[in-house]
Amino acid sequence: MDKATAARLDDRIERSALGDQFAFEEIVRQHQGMVFSMACHFLRDRALAEELAQEVFLNLHQNLHSIKSPEHLTFWLRKVTSHRCIDQSRRQKVRPQVSLEDVPEPSMEATENDLFLSEMLRRVVDALPEKARMVVILRYQEDLDPGEIASVLDMPLNTVKSHLRRSLSVLRDKLSRTLGEVSI
Amino acid sequence: MSRLDDEIRKAFRRQQPSADFTERLLERVAMQPSPKPRWWQRLALLLEPPKLRWVAIGVTASLLLAIGAAQYRKLNQVVVQDDGKVAQTSPAPKPVDQETAGRTSASPGQETATENQTATRNTKHAATSSRNHRPALARLQKQQELKSEGEVAKETLMYALSIASSALNEAQKAVHDDGLKP
Repeated sequence: MDKATAARLDDRIERSALGDQFAFEEIVRQHQGMVFSMACHFLRDRALAEELAQEVFLNLHQNLHSIKSPEHLTFWLRKVTSHRCIDQSRRQKVRPQVSLEDVPEPSMEATENDLFLSEMLRRVVDALPEKARMVVILRYQEDLDPGEIASVLDMPLNTVKSHLRRSLSVLRDKLSRTLGEVSI
Repeated sequence: MSRLDDEIRKAFRRQQPSADFTERLLERVAMQPSPKPRWWQRLALLLEPPKLRWVAIGVTASLLLAIGAAQYRKLNQVVVQDDGKVAQTSPAPKPVDQETAGRTSASPGQETATENQTATRNTKHAATSSRNHRPALARLQKQQELKSEGEVAKETLMYALSIASSALNEAQKAVHDDGLKP
């Protein structure tokens, strides 16, 4: 984020805290992609993800006075979204839990279709435990390093690293079993 | 960076919610009670242009009042200092001196001793009465001085208040006139 954008966003945060709805709208438009994507990749349900994202922004609206800077805003949104996603997933007992072994094997060559490979990866990640799943999302969607992920998820750094290692090993294993000769 | 990393990144690219997401959210926000800003945020709000004028007027009026109060206090302090000076300049006569005077007057003879004793008693009485009356007079004088200085301070304060009041009236009129302009 460049200085001008940061200063502008800082101004928007201040104005929103004072009740300026236009400033709040701008903040929402700027961050809705991040919040919605995290929820959507985690829950794999667009409607549920939208509802959760709305709740996160409503919560933000009530807590705007505690936001100190644009960086703090992004951190706050990631943290609240992550925790809400994990809570939602735990509450959602009706959601069918698919074990890694039960993830269906693809019936066509992945190299022929990138969309197919992406979907395959998402399904494998979806079968991971909640915290490991969120670690992968924060690492690959938000491009955070393990230290940042640890602070967002209130988790020891070594736990984050081991989650990442294990998840990548599972993904590699599953995909190489599926794709065979394709080097991943 | 491995190909797997790239593929995962591609799979977990950011997506956008539905087009009416923001509108729906803002509707829900409008239905919620607005969050209460903190005191420093309220202060910042007061310093925004339309309200700045009123703040300036209030500050001027408070300043004038503070100056008036400070002036009044200062005058009071001067009066107290004056009291101290008066007490020092007119000390009461020491009892030791009167006793020695009594003794010297009694020394010539026994005949005159009773007269001398009466005289001594009279002197003592006079000294005691003057000792009692002098502070009372000083107190009375000081009360009069205090009263006159209090009057002066009161006038100063009233003058400061009238300035503040006229400033407020002018500012209110100016704001009112501004409001009437198209």
